[in-house]
Amino acid sequence: MIGFVLKRLLVALPTLLAVLTIVFLFVRVVPGDPALVILGDSATQEALAAMRQQLGLDKPILVQYAEFMAMVLTGDLGRSMLTSRPIVAEVLDVLPYTIELTIAALVIGVVFGIPLGILSARNRNGWADYATRLLSLIGLSFPAFVSAVLLLLVFAIQLRWFPVISSAALDDPSARLRSLALPSFNLGLIMVAYVTRVTRSSMLGVLSEDYIRTARAKGVPARLVVWRHALRNALIPVVTVVGLYLGVLIGNSVLTEIVFNRPGLGKLIVGALNQRDYTMLQGLMVIYAFIIVLCNLMTDLTYGLIDPRVKRT
Amino acid sequence: MTAVVSDVVAAGPLTALWIWSRRNKAAALGGLLVVLVMLSALLAPWLAPHDPLEQSVLNRLDPPSAEFLLGNDPYGRDILSRILWGGRVSLFVSTSAVLIALVVGSAIGILSGYVGGPFDRVVMAMMDVLLSFPSLIMGLLVVAMLGPSVGNLIFAIGLTAVAPFARIARAPTLVIKEREFVEAGRAMGFSHLRIMGVHILPNVASEVLVMGSLWLATAIRTEASLSFIGLGVRPPTPTWGGMIREGFENILDAPWLAVFPSIAILLVMLGLNLLGDGLRDATDPRLRHE
Amino acid sequence: MRRFTIAAGAAAVAIAGLCAATPVAAQKTLNVAMGAADLGALDPHRTATTQDKAIIGWMFNGLVRIRPGSISPADIEPDIAERWESSPDQLTWKFFLRKGVRFHGGYGELTSDDVVFSLKRAADPKTSAFSSDFRAISDITALDPYTVEIKFREHIPSVLGILTNYQGGYIVSRKAVEALGDEFRSKAVGTGPFAYADYQRNQAVTLAAHKEYFRGAPRIDRIVYRYIPSDASRDLAFTSGELDLMFGRADQKWVERMRQTPDTQVLIFGPGELGAVHLNITKKPLDDVRVRQAVAHAINRAQIVKFRGESVFQAAVSIVPEGYLGTDEKAPLQPYDVAKAKKLLAEAGYKDGITLKAIQTSQPSMLSVMEVVQAQLKQAGINLQFEVVDHPTFHAQIRKDLSDVVYYSAARFPIADQHLTQFYHSRSTVGTPTAVTNFSHCGMADAEIDAARVATDPEKQKALWKEAQRKLIEAVCSVPLAGNTQVWAKRGKLDLGYDLKGSLSLGPLITEASTLR
Repeated sequence: MIGFVLKRLLVALPTLLAVLTIVFLFVRVVPGDPALVILGDSATQEALAAMRQQLGLDKPILVQYAEFMAMVLTGDLGRSMLTSRPIVAEVLDVLPYTIELTIAALVIGVVFGIPLGILSARNRNGWADYATRLLSLIGLSFPAFVSAVLLLLVFAIQLRWFPVISSAALDDPSARLRSLALPSFNLGLIMVAYVTRVTRSSMLGVLSEDYIRTARAKGVPARLVVWRHALRNALIPVVTVVGLYLGVLIGNSVLTEIVFNRPGLGKLIVGALNQRDYTMLQGLMVIYAFIIVLCNLMTDLTYGLIDPRVKRT
Repeated sequence: MTAVVSDVVAAGPLTALWIWSRRNKAAALGGLLVVLVMLSALLAPWLAPHDPLEQSVLNRLDPPSAEFLLGNDPYGRDILSRILWGGRVSLFVSTSAVLIALVVGSAIGILSGYVGGPFDRVVMAMMDVLLSFPSLIMGLLVVAMLGPSVGNLIFAIGLTAVAPFARIARAPTLVIKEREFVEAGRAMGFSHLRIMGVHILPNVASEVLVMGSLWLATAIRTEASLSFIGLGVRPPTPTWGGMIREGFENILDAPWLAVFPSIAILLVMLGLNLLGDGLRDATDPRLRHE
Repeated sequence: MRRFTIAAGAAAVAIAGLCAATPVAAQKTLNVAMGAADLGALDPHRTATTQDKAIIGWMFNGLVRIRPGSISPADIEPDIAERWESSPDQLTWKFFLRKGVRFHGGYGELTSDDVVFSLKRAADPKTSAFSSDFRAISDITALDPYTVEIKFREHIPSVLGILTNYQGGYIVSRKAVEALGDEFRSKAVGTGPFAYADYQRNQAVTLAAHKEYFRGAPRIDRIVYRYIPSDASRDLAFTSGELDLMFGRADQKWVERMRQTPDTQVLIFGPGELGAVHLNITKKPLDDVRVRQAVAHAINRAQIVKFRGESVFQAAVSIVPEGYLGTDEKAPLQPYDVAKAKKLLAEAGYKDGITLKAIQTSQPSMLSVMEVVQAQLKQAGINLQFEVVDHPTFHAQIRKDLSDVVYYSAARFPIADQHLTQFYHSRSTVGTPTAVTNFSHCGMADAEIDAARVATDPEKQKALWKEAQRKLIEAVCSVPLAGNTQVWAKRGKLDLGYDLKGSLSLGPLITEASTLR
């Protein structure tokens, strides 16, 4: 098992390195001048030049690159140009929000998606199957910002169950959960749809395999067949899909955070883009890359846990 | 798909389509939806009752009326006409992006799988790098870097879809290149290009096309999301995402503004997903058995 | 499945853990929302963007201030300085400071040393965005801990004007600036009724009452100043009762709807902001004055006013905002006349029309006005092409002289000098070392602007400003569109404690006397 983990880690490293270089180059080409954003609209040219120097934007690009790599390797992503705070600290401030949102969306996706998928597969071509498939298709077809606006209007404005500004402080548990409800449901919606579909099709695949037929033929009760024998095998693709669509979740979390006024990585990156906060953008991209590589790694490992055959390949 | 259609292809393409539709009602419905939306976008210049750019300040934010069937936007422009023209832009951007990604991605995948060895490893590692960014985040960054023109949007969205196509084209290539008929072709001295084009491509095509219809949905969503964030095609050109954004900003004064373009997106996405599903079910041998 | 249950359970525990802490005791918290994505800076000398002005106004004092609720220079009253005197030639001024003025957070008492440091900082382009306002100052010295002397090189229109609680006039703590370094940008320390407490990026700044405020402890305990760029999101949050005060939308429909919202008061106040389309006279085909005149004639101000609504927008009267000291309220602006515009274009040799390029911000309120202008120009055969970029990129690119046409909306200290100097003096031309915001490259009124600044006779000064406006309008350096007032909304439970007619910080001042029921 350790060997397997190490091997995966080794594969992940060069990927990360390449991503880092691309990230560095990327950020330097974005147009716009951070000094101006910081100083505002009636700043003089002299003030702007002074600010650029202070931000280190006047150094040769290779020097900037060397400094960047050295910083990343020491686990220090530098300071935000805008707030002068360490980027790691800025990210850690909002990371709990994004993590709780993503986990909540995943949990919603799995808790609703797997039973729905099984239901659908067991009633293949029955009305329950059609209803589930239609619902999951609609779930897939909703752009995250459309569903977000709808949820906001119904549950925050009409019913007043949940707040419009979903950014309760970390120290107020009930408000915190209330403010998590709508965003996580919005983000979870698409996950439910994906998980339902994958569970259904992989259940159908497994149920048609010989050993299940044998089990059935031997008179093992249908319920037991589904839950004990089929599900375990059917879950493998589900795990992959959950891992694969973590990326979609992270993408959609940007839209969700914007509509629900929620702090988080997505809002941070859109903000950094608008503010030309070069160091922040760069740091965030590094962090995104780390997160995605980590997710892929974890998916691989979970895969290995569920299906022992994977380890050998 | 190729297999299914070829069963009945002898009876003529239209009949074949009819029989296939009877077998795959959902997919046919999806296809119909997609065709309808595509047609309405293509025919926008003839279908649209008004100039999508013509402002009329006196009609701003008016509710649906006999003259303006879906109401007016904040500039008094006709929403129906803007949806039709906006569909043109949104569909053009996403279709071009997916087509480019499909061609480039498949070429990379086939080449990489066919050549194999260290080349394959390096190329696939690069694809992994591309894949490691969520498509919306990557689109966001590319558009922010290059500016929001139609060409840049196509490039950005296309870039996000290259890697998945490369992956899906590579997998069957690895299997097929070991088959006898490819070996035979090689023995007969066919060029590599010919082997890849004539022997491998057709076997990869069906999966790639299914993927294409599903990615088209993703591309439409990405384009709309970028417009919603404010990184879409520049105004006054209408796009669905941009219209929804404008609608959201006026949601308390004129809710219909956001509703109609949302329905348009929903319909085309639903159509594409139905179609893609149907095609996939048809090509997936496991599901076809029962 | 078992593993999944475990994973789900672990997640639930993690979420519960994140929430486990005690809630804060009930306080009087004022919830405010600003129409911007994030804080620019709280350092008053470094930021000139609208989103920061309002909150900075709650944190700092100047030597003098304009009475809360007013923007008239006639209402200037003591703030940190108790009294002041000036030499007969108006070139030497002495300010006597109030004793017992304390900075936020244990930075001690304010003395003349802080004032000298602050004003010198505001006059230095390396540390301030407003150094051009302080160009005339030759020396600032502390005579004793409570007396400051300021010497001027030349006469300027309003000495007290640049020393009010506005832009470079805000007094910061020397100790804090030196101790905090770069962090001062977001953790600024002043003497005002509210002090910085917390900042959540892209989300909110929290201020806490400054209990030792020299006018008395504020009656509001905390202010949460949220950044919500979407107009709709702010409206929704206000509607659902999560906000007490918010930045509004200069739009008739919005004003009407908010006026009908229960328990809501729409605040409309000065200073007037003026939006103008600046035409770059060095670029073809705009180098031909007939083309610029054509653009001016093709623009229909009345329609723009109708588009945004008459209760918040007024047609421009000149290239300086209406109501400023020195504005020519009957300036000879070119009237709307499409036929004449077409004729002028033809005369200039562009019978088939022209194409102009405008770099345009994606900020909705500015973009929407320009979309109307775009449609109007089209009627005269002028094709205005947008390159829409986000707001910061817009600011960067227009200063690099990349746009033929620049739409810019600004409010300045209500004296014609600042507006004319920053937008129409050749020293302010973009692309030069002393650039501010002269996008047109005009300089034909430099002499009048400079002479007016140092003029001692008010009548002569007004005449010079009038002449400057005439020359600049004749040359069509810009086409002023419409002025708008500041628009905010508040809940009934917030009592500002004064009558709000205007605010130089572009947002309602929250003072020690403001209350929240």
